[in-house]
Amino acid sequence: MKKLLVIIKQEYFNRVRTKYFIISSLLGPLIMVGFTVVPGLLFSMKTGGATKVAVVDLTGKLYEGVRESIMTSRERGDEGEKKVETTSATGATDSGEGMRLAAKALGVSYEVEEVKADGRPLDEIKNELNARVRNNKLGVYIVLPEKILEEGRAEYYGRNVSDVITTSQLRYSLNRAIVEQRLSDANIDRNRVRQLSKEIKMETTKVSESGLERDSGGGFGMAMFIGIFIYMAILMYGQVILSSVVEEKTTRVSEVLFSSVRPFHLMLGKLLGVALVAITQYAIWAVLFGAFALYGVGMLAASGMDVPLPNVPLSFVIYGLLFFVLGFLMYATIYVLVAAMVTTEKEAGQMAMPVIFLSIISIYMAFPVIRSPNSSFSFWVSIAPFFSPITMLVRIVTETPPFWQIALSLGIGLASVVFFVWVAARIYRVGMLMYGKSASIPEVMRWLRQG
Amino acid sequence: MNEDNVTLTIDRVTKKFDDFVAVDELSLQVRAGRIFGLIGPNGAGKTTTIRMIVNILAPDSGRIELFGEAMSERLQDRIGYLPEERGLYKKMRVGEQLRYFGELKGLSAREAETRLDHWLARLKLSEWKNHKTNELSKGMQQKIQFIATVMHDPDLLILDEVFSGLDPVNAELMKDVLLELKADRRTIIFSTHMMSQAEELCDDICLINRSRKVLQGSLREVKSSFGRRAVALRAEGGDEVLKDTRLVAGVKPYGDYVEVLLADGADAQELLHRLIESGARVMRFEQVEPSLHDIFLQKVGESA
Repeated sequence: MKKLLVIIKQEYFNRVRTKYFIISSLLGPLIMVGFTVVPGLLFSMKTGGATKVAVVDLTGKLYEGVRESIMTSRERGDEGEKKVETTSATGATDSGEGMRLAAKALGVSYEVEEVKADGRPLDEIKNELNARVRNNKLGVYIVLPEKILEEGRAEYYGRNVSDVITTSQLRYSLNRAIVEQRLSDANIDRNRVRQLSKEIKMETTKVSESGLERDSGGGFGMAMFIGIFIYMAILMYGQVILSSVVEEKTTRVSEVLFSSVRPFHLMLGKLLGVALVAITQYAIWAVLFGAFALYGVGMLAASGMDVPLPNVPLSFVIYGLLFFVLGFLMYATIYVLVAAMVTTEKEAGQMAMPVIFLSIISIYMAFPVIRSPNSSFSFWVSIAPFFSPITMLVRIVTETPPFWQIALSLGIGLASVVFFVWVAARIYRVGMLMYGKSASIPEVMRWLRQG
Repeated sequence: MNEDNVTLTIDRVTKKFDDFVAVDELSLQVRAGRIFGLIGPNGAGKTTTIRMIVNILAPDSGRIELFGEAMSERLQDRIGYLPEERGLYKKMRVGEQLRYFGELKGLSAREAETRLDHWLARLKLSEWKNHKTNELSKGMQQKIQFIATVMHDPDLLILDEVFSGLDPVNAELMKDVLLELKADRRTIIFSTHMMSQAEELCDDICLINRSRKVLQGSLREVKSSFGRRAVALRAEGGDEVLKDTRLVAGVKPYGDYVEVLLADGADAQELLHRLIESGARVMRFEQVEPSLHDIFLQKVGESA
């Protein structure tokens, strides 16, 4: 027991004191923010200022309404602003809508001009406008045919038609203008329609065992965040374990170590020591994130904005930690097993691929579970070893299942960790002293049977 | 042999790997305060035997007793093992590494620190304490490995090819340390292919070949019981006598002398007598023992 502590201590401090650990602990949050936020920003970023839009109105009465609709789509988005959160949070609404709102949030701006037909044929006008588009004098132009009010068909021309944000925003604005024109043609007051068709706001409230909580879809984000969190820890620290075991094997340190301690203690000490390193790193990240978040909220509050803090009950934190450790041990044990079978780090990388696939699958499993956390699929997946750490946590966060299910998942998880540790220990003990070539599966089976 | 004086008893120990018998019914005893040479060709079963002694492997059958007790985890702390393949963490600092190995042998961190400082000074490596292991030469790494083996003051030392990679100066330094440990009643099991080293250091030897014991005893007994007896002879005349097959089994010329192998049952005294009788002038007549090297070659050759 004393030696086990010595090993845990060594594995822990030897890693925590490295420059790599310190740097990654401090920069990790920045990198993570970078990976999640930057691609989104880049994608929705519109460079080069306002988009010039020309409107060819063949009806002769729609231009004013369309222009107003395009130009005001930003100011009028009062209720829309709130909708940004809810729509993106449920993830279920049509993507064009989301794009439009994203563009609005990002302040994409337009300059609108009218191109009068003045009796010229449409083709001539189009040729002229096409030339302008080609010369980058114009972003896009829209042709409103004479029968647009009846047939509901407009034409959109632009150099770049893959810019979904612009197309969907213009489509929305145009649509609104046309609808309003139709209404006023039917002698219905435009302002009255606006008033009557004002969108409703939906306040989402989660009903859980412990009562009612206000929640605007934050659970989804949190569930995904935790899932990816565990996945990252498995990948990063699984790799750490893998290379550490392979190193001890290739340098033959294991032979010296085995003459002092039981292989089982050595393996367990390594697993626990590295698990503690992972927990330490994640704790540092959590604190840094918390500090950033508090600072951010404080700044917003100071500028007069009301930002609700996400409500994280203590039980989530405790379950999070439990499933994190469980998941980590499950996968890390398999990494030990793989490492004991091979002779070089390169082979280890190849042999570890199935383990990585397994963890990727369990991330995918999380999606259907988020949509329907109480289905029987979710139940089975959340008690199955290798999948349970991520999927059960997702269930707990989205729609906390009855306690017995959590306990069952923990119990099965623990039992499988014990089983895998037992298997890995037997393979480790023999494999670590086998040099020369990697072990084959039948060989490994024989090691398992050896007493 | 007094039981108190026995450090290690191996009693009819067998170890198989699948169908391959690595060690077959091996029995031997190692006496306290002596240097015991475990010799044999590659693949004879030395490493497997050693791994069983240090409790890395368990025998399939038979019994291993250390200090009068059955082998156990606790006894591992009283053994120091230097494997043939060196095992050090390449990127760890020397001091840190030794402290870890010491702690694994049951020393407290502080104790380990004191001991490793002592040994680093003794082997002239103090200034390397804070260097990473891969910055050290092979010989220096060998000495670090040796410190890891002895720093916890073990009663039984098992050294597999301890001199490999050492220059003559360091080899001599190491030899002094070993003799010092022996004087301090430590038992040393010494495994090597280098017969000259074994001959120089060992009190007792055991030769194993093809997983079986071929020969065991004190170096003296082994040599004197060995069938091959020879005389180094420098003489003028007496050629007739050397042709007598009842006395002489063979003659090997060596520079200015010849080595005369005595026939079975022949007596060296009789040979000398006959030579003088025949009127030969004898300038050198010396009974020579076979070297361990010769014994090794003959025994391994016989059982091949």
